Amino acid sequence: MIDRVKQKINELLSGGSVKGVVALANANGHVAPCLFQKGDDLQHLSLGDRETSGDARYPLNKVLTTIARQYPDEVFGVLVRGCDERGLHILFRLNQLAADKVVPIGISCPETLALQCECKKPWPDEMTAGEKSQGVAQKRVEAAEGLDLKERFSFWTEQFSKCIKCYGCRDICPMCFCKECSLECEDLVSKGDLPVDIPVFHLTRAMHMADRCIDCGLCEEACPADIPLRLLYKKTSKIMNTEFGFTSGMNKNEISPLSMMGPAPKK
Amino acid sequence: MDYRNTLTTCTYCGCGCNFFLESLDGRLTGTIPCKTSPVNEGKLCIKGWNVHQFVQSEKRLTKPLMRKNGELVEVSWDEALDFAASGLKAVKEGTGPDAVGFLASAKVTNEENYLMQKFARAGVGTNNIDHCARL
Amino acid sequence: MSELEDADTIFIIGSNTATSHPLVATRIFRAIEKGARVLVADPRKNQIAAFAHLYVRHRPGTDVALLNGMMKVILDQGLEDKAFIADNTEEFEGFKNLIHAVSLDEVSGITGVSVEDIQTLAETYAKADKASIVYCMGITQHTNGVNNVKSLANLAMLTGNIGKYATGVNPLRGQNNVQGACDMGGLPNVYTGYQPVTLGAANKKFAEAWGVSELPSKIGLTIPEMLHGIEKGEVKALWIMGENPVVSDPDANHVVKALEKLELLIVQDIFLTPTARLAHLVLPGVSFAEKDGTFSNTERRVTRVRKAVAPVGDSRQDWQIIQDISSRFGYKMEYDSPETIFKEIASLTPSYGGMTYERLEGPGLQWPCPSPEHPGTPFLHKDGKFTRGKGLFHAIGYKPPAELTDEEYPFCMTTGRVYAHYHTGTMTRNSKSLDFEVPEGFLEMNPADAEALDLCDGHRVRMASRRGEIETRIMITERVEKGVVFMPFHFEESNVNKLTNPAYDPIAKIPEFKVCAVKLEKVS
Repeated sequence: MIDRVKQKINELLSGGSVKGVVALANANGHVAPCLFQKGDDLQHLSLGDRETSGDARYPLNKVLTTIARQYPDEVFGVLVRGCDERGLHILFRLNQLAADKVVPIGISCPETLALQCECKKPWPDEMTAGEKSQGVAQKRVEAAEGLDLKERFSFWTEQFSKCIKCYGCRDICPMCFCKECSLECEDLVSKGDLPVDIPVFHLTRAMHMADRCIDCGLCEEACPADIPLRLLYKKTSKIMNTEFGFTSGMNKNEISPLSMMGPAPKK
Repeated sequence: MDYRNTLTTCTYCGCGCNFFLESLDGRLTGTIPCKTSPVNEGKLCIKGWNVHQFVQSEKRLTKPLMRKNGELVEVSWDEALDFAASGLKAVKEGTGPDAVGFLASAKVTNEENYLMQKFARAGVGTNNIDHCARL
Repeated sequence: MSELEDADTIFIIGSNTATSHPLVATRIFRAIEKGARVLVADPRKNQIAAFAHLYVRHRPGTDVALLNGMMKVILDQGLEDKAFIADNTEEFEGFKNLIHAVSLDEVSGITGVSVEDIQTLAETYAKADKASIVYCMGITQHTNGVNNVKSLANLAMLTGNIGKYATGVNPLRGQNNVQGACDMGGLPNVYTGYQPVTLGAANKKFAEAWGVSELPSKIGLTIPEMLHGIEKGEVKALWIMGENPVVSDPDANHVVKALEKLELLIVQDIFLTPTARLAHLVLPGVSFAEKDGTFSNTERRVTRVRKAVAPVGDSRQDWQIIQDISSRFGYKMEYDSPETIFKEIASLTPSYGGMTYERLEGPGLQWPCPSPEHPGTPFLHKDGKFTRGKGLFHAIGYKPPAELTDEEYPFCMTTGRVYAHYHTGTMTRNSKSLDFEVPEGFLEMNPADAEALDLCDGHRVRMASRRGEIETRIMITERVEKGVVFMPFHFEESNVNKLTNPAYDPIAKIPEFKVCAVKLEKVS
């Protein structure tokens, strides 16, 4: 699979259709997000699989957003999995990236990773390499729904009280880009002390991500307190799906039912 | 266009978390925790996540300062280094090597601490070197 | 560090782990998830105490009493590990005699912890298969800090919880490279790798390597001793690199007076700290993001620091500053990079002997790593083997802190950290997000004390000790008990170290930051 990806990146860079490609690279005995440019050695390219499949994934769309803000007129390639592609759809719609300036290089996720993520759609629509594997049922959510309300409340209260307020869930999130963050709004969340306001802090974020979360799982992996954040956001997404039939990013052109401002103005 | 992620070790607590300092054209733009580090496994605390913010602060010291007529004023490196060397020499020759003391640091690298104690011991000739391990 | 996850009992004493060592707390949370029991003893009910199987609030400075009480229970109930004691330890009899004389009622009176809780602590810890102890500055920053640590070692040896996987006595180092600064000989009595300056062989080895005819063999001065030396006119010049004693050291007013007396004060730092403002010469070094080198973390893991961006302005590499001054002073240094310096360190330091920058790629290496093939050492004292042969029991009686409360100074004040700041705040307070999170200092006070002083949350108080006074805002919380107040030390404008007691431990020379007597008065 990686050879096919290398070939594609090579074509894009040498043909001059993109200025650079955001992907992953092996460096210093680890895997790091990287911008490949013309002439760079693609020997170091990594797809983010080290000991297990997908264990070294990084928020590449976030990296791309950082670079594209500085270079809005350039076109960039970016390595995407199914979740990342859903993310791109939303970032285009919310004007964080321009669709005509991004060339996605799609790879599918293997079954092991899909199972681990309980991913509904572990492949991108536009696929450069890999084989589609099956979508997976949401067992974690179902198990959590099996608890009665009292048990659920005490489970989440205990989980939230481990929070050390690192804001890592927000900082790693490829879909978080607001200049003013509601988690830093003092009328909503008090600051300066631990533990955080329970459950306001985490539910504020869950609400905010309801129509944005693409279920990449990076927040849960970044949480120093091992709070099952992905489960929380999966449940929130499920509510969106049940109530509005909406799954964020799944359909390229679909507008979020929570977006009251309507579609972005046409240029 | 120069976008980089430099793998390094946190400067705050003794956990020694590993992360990438993200930079674009020479400006630090972010911190990304290293997922394959055995120490922090892709996680960080609030201090780590924001560690890039102080580095290019406008309040950083950018030039040597020397006290002249009671005020700290900017001077050249040449003047500063000569002043330090001759000042230390004068105290050593006037009172003896043990009249000079050194504070190494729990915040600088091993190499820098090594060099300072080497200078204290082999250069000046004193074991008066300590750091705030106890604080 | 990750071993902690597999302990079945974790005893945390004097460590606000979730705030000060978050990534260690991660491992503790995971152990809890796996069913481990957590015991927390701390004068302040910190975040992790909420997850404890048992939390006890002992009075500041009464750690030895509490630990002796626990060991009394263990011996009385025959819960000690007799085989481990017989095979791996010495001086048990003397220790046993001292513990036999301990009265649990007295311990309870001294510590404020009930006899029942002391029993539960002791039984839970002693009956565990794999019990780890985690401690931090709450244990060490006392006039009897060394005795506190030795008492923890007694407890671990008594129950055989040392030298096995997921056990042991685990100190958490406060600052990122405290371990490294010690390893590198940034101490008055040792060269790198703890080779004593007083030892002829080490002395000779370093003299030869450094190309000098002789090296001083007299043990040098510690920081508090240097300050005394300055007052007595014996120390006249001081070169401070990357430290801020005016904010970090106890009795700050006294530190300022001493530094002002120097003929030459050189401060090398990245910001104009309160200490730098007193200097004759300020040298702009560079931050960790602008340099290459290595740090050694709390688990003795050496990892690389790599230069991410060019130094700001005319600031210079710290190693280069030292090298240039040394050469101008008359002792020539000609390194071309931190890596060359590291090679020299490895050649002179057996525990770092097998390390090279190349081998430090990836996860890094934990010392001792004596040879190029050696994989490094994840934990010390393996299979009951101690560095000195056998583990030594110490008979340690309880001694109260150096300064007790009295009629004039009725509150016991203790200091520490908050989650968003680090040490003297030089770096974190210049970070936008962190300054937003906690912009100013505050004093934690029990609701009963606040009511007695007619104070509401956010009111300002004047707090004074025998050494100085400051003003600050109060935060009312039950985290501290009645009669005890807590204040973080990150804030130079409300510098709590103007109040702290410089009395120090006779062996480790650690000042008693954790206990001093203060009085409080409402600011109208």
